[in-house]
Amino acid sequence: MPEPSAQPLIEADVVGRLMGQPLLARFPMEGSVSGHHRSPHRGSSVEFAEYRNYVPGDDIRRLDWRVFARTDRYYLKEFEAETNLRCYVVLDCSGSMGFAGEHGTRLDYAKRLAATLSYLIINQGDAAGLMHVTEKTATEIPPRRNASHLQVILDALGQMRPTGGTRLVPMLHELAEKARRRALVVILSDCFCDGDELRDALQHLRFQKHDLALFHLLDPLELDFEFDRPVRFVDMEGSHSIVTEPATVRAEYQSQLKRFLDKLRDDCHEFNADYRRVTLNQPYGQVMADFLTERARHATRA
Amino acid sequence: MTFLQPLILWGLPLVLLPVIIHLINRMRHRPRQWAAMQFLLAATRSSTSHAKLRNLLIMLMRILAVLALLIFLARPLVGGWMGWALAAAPDAILLLVDRSASMELRVTGADESRREYALRMLADAAEEFEHTSHLVLLDSATRQASELPNAASLLEWPDTKPTDTAADLPAMLQTALDWLIENKAGTAEIWIASDLQASNWQPDDPRWETLITAFDSLPQKVRVRLLATTQESPGNASISVSQLSRQQNSGKGEVRLAADLNRSQSNAGTTTITRTLNDVATELEARVTGQSTRWRHRFAVGGQAGGWGKLELPADGNPRDNITYYRYSDDHPPAGLVVTESALGPLWQAAASVAGQAGRTPAKRYAPGDVTPADLRDATLVVWQTPLPKGEMANALRSFADEGGRVVFFPPGQPSTARFAGLGWGEKQTSGDAGFAVGRWDEDQGPLANTDEGLLLPLAKLGVRQRQQVVGQAAVLAAFDDAQALLVRQALDKGEVYFCTTLPLLAWSEMGDGLVVVPMLQRLLAAGSRRLQRDSVAECGQVSAGDLQLEWTSAETDLRGDVQTQAGVYKNGDRWLLVNRPAAEDEFERVEDSAVAGLFGSLPFQLFQAQRDDTALQGEIWRLFLFLMLLALLVEAWLIRPSSMAEAAPLKPQPAAA
Repeated sequence: MPEPSAQPLIEADVVGRLMGQPLLARFPMEGSVSGHHRSPHRGSSVEFAEYRNYVPGDDIRRLDWRVFARTDRYYLKEFEAETNLRCYVVLDCSGSMGFAGEHGTRLDYAKRLAATLSYLIINQGDAAGLMHVTEKTATEIPPRRNASHLQVILDALGQMRPTGGTRLVPMLHELAEKARRRALVVILSDCFCDGDELRDALQHLRFQKHDLALFHLLDPLELDFEFDRPVRFVDMEGSHSIVTEPATVRAEYQSQLKRFLDKLRDDCHEFNADYRRVTLNQPYGQVMADFLTERARHATRA
Repeated sequence: MTFLQPLILWGLPLVLLPVIIHLINRMRHRPRQWAAMQFLLAATRSSTSHAKLRNLLIMLMRILAVLALLIFLARPLVGGWMGWALAAAPDAILLLVDRSASMELRVTGADESRREYALRMLADAAEEFEHTSHLVLLDSATRQASELPNAASLLEWPDTKPTDTAADLPAMLQTALDWLIENKAGTAEIWIASDLQASNWQPDDPRWETLITAFDSLPQKVRVRLLATTQESPGNASISVSQLSRQQNSGKGEVRLAADLNRSQSNAGTTTITRTLNDVATELEARVTGQSTRWRHRFAVGGQAGGWGKLELPADGNPRDNITYYRYSDDHPPAGLVVTESALGPLWQAAASVAGQAGRTPAKRYAPGDVTPADLRDATLVVWQTPLPKGEMANALRSFADEGGRVVFFPPGQPSTARFAGLGWGEKQTSGDAGFAVGRWDEDQGPLANTDEGLLLPLAKLGVRQRQQVVGQAAVLAAFDDAQALLVRQALDKGEVYFCTTLPLLAWSEMGDGLVVVPMLQRLLAAGSRRLQRDSVAECGQVSAGDLQLEWTSAETDLRGDVQTQAGVYKNGDRWLLVNRPAAEDEFERVEDSAVAGLFGSLPFQLFQAQRDDTALQGEIWRLFLFLMLLALLVEAWLIRPSSMAEAAPLKPQPAAA
């Protein structure tokens, strides 16, 4: 099992570049305090939402007297509510996340993404939580807004080790049931599990109106499958082992992989999840910057 | 298929090299922790059968390539069409075709002769080269090189038809060598088709060594391929007239002939000989014993006119050697001439006397100083017992012998340095009481041959007390026990010169009783009559240049005949020409394969035995295996090429999201 990387989880220069760009939810969030994310409820922000007819019981202080003076009708002027964001970072810690290519292990990469993301969220006053499961253990750090919570998350990330088979799908179902209020769910995984089950889990989260972002982490070696001599491939999550001539199965392997990736991407697009395929040779700072920019653009359009 | 380098075939286990390398390669695989196992397992499952087949094919191609390389290095030879067709094309191919009579022997189980078989095989093989090489025919009968327009024309070419000639392989090769030098040909191959008859190949001939040295020194590369047509053949018998003489007694003529019958079988029995005499055929029975039999026959002829005829055997394996022609000439009475001073003169006169209507006429007798060249005009035999002639007389006597006359020299008693026809008299030797005993003599032919009844001349009982040695090289017809010669012969142009080393004097020998000297001189007297005849006798293919200038008509068909290649009796005005198949052509002895290979020394040589199998004409086919190896490597390279699908659609990250 590869040792945890000596590289720091949060790099100051990366975070420094990213701090100017807020992380925004694409859908209305249900927070506990006021924030700068849209809420499904009407509130007292400066953002005008709509007019609606007065119904008995409404607070008469909210009547728009100017409209009443012009039209002799009672209308209430409503404003957008703005709330804070609750973000769940779901980290897959299965054995396959320990895959190490030329650019380090997949889990290290995922940890850096998770740490940076948590930092940015907490730094902008939102709540960040962390969930990670292995085959045998499940750990959940609920979202908190206080700065000291970041250290808890970083400590938890530092202790994570890839092990056993993946339980990502059950964990996502569990999260969908548990998180009653709308939240941003960021999944960091290689998604090497049953495609249909994963689809159901993602759909379940979306059904609960969570904003969903999936970082699909892949090593270039897994995509290219470039080997020049026979290799005995050992399954990182099981006991399978196979000796093969890579050149002879390369085409078929790539075909199978491509089919899986295309289906996952199409599924995510279908229920409006944010699917991001990331290869480990991409700088994670750039990946985060693209992620934030894309969200900001989406929020502006909305 | 045979191989020029069969030892390389020991390397055949090397064909397992690709398998071994494959197994070693499999054993040195690296372990690799892998996450995306589900796709790898699926890919392996779905591509297993296809991959296995492809791997199998790749392995097969590699094995095939190694195998082809090994066979290529072993320089394979293969027979039949393929072998010749796949061999490299030389600039010139010289086709040396043996057209001798022995090549007309039929091949058992096939309706063709050895010559026809050889021509067919040569034409088939040459067909592949007719556009790339010059095809030059060189036949044994004419020994003239002629370029063929195409391979098929070989079968119809006039110079490939059957003949009654013998073949002279060294001479043919000399002609081939001259052609190569004269035409400055590039790489050349000499294809010889022959039945390896020893008399044609003459393996002991010193010309071979000179020839091979000359071929070796040529700037171009010359290869020799020999198609030995030594297949099984039906039984064969041949006949040839070895002796013929005309005896004229009291107006009655009689022809005596001896014919040699050679057979491939050795069982005793009788055979039918059809004798044709002046167009009248008579069937005769002849007893044959062993493989070789001398058959003697005599028949009466009337008048003084000459005649001709032929002896014919029943049809057998070789129709070409079943006929032999003979010609007996007009009666020219022989005449003897004795030159001596000794008291033996009358004896010799009597021994060399000629029987006529008025009884026997003794030979003319001259003293050594009295004889002149003019005296030789009507003579057929000269008996000379005096020192060897010199000057004008020697020249006259030489001309006499060259024209066909016979000269017998008896010892003068004193040694001399004078020579005649390369021979002279040496020291006189005297024996003790036992005398010199005659050990051996030629019983088949010559003046001491057995009588017509097969009786030996009493040479074994001949007592010899004195003898005078002969100096010089000559054929020994009779010799004493101590290997000294009794009678030697020196052949000149048409005649012969004999030296007898003893005298019919009691002080010298018991020859004076006449039992030896009379038949000897009578036979020489008759043989010398050829000098007066206008008949020519030649072996087929050996007709003299003078005779070839004349236009000859076959006495048998009255058509113009080719005296150089066809046996027969020919006529030109009052001149006759008897052409027979060379006697050596009837011999069955052949040269062994190893001996033939040895004749060509260091020249690249391949022998193809038609007898060995039916794919006789073999050729090197290394090019095929080189091509096979390259093909296998190409197919292997194609099979192991990277998949085009994987190249065309590489998987790249897709950062954009909806």
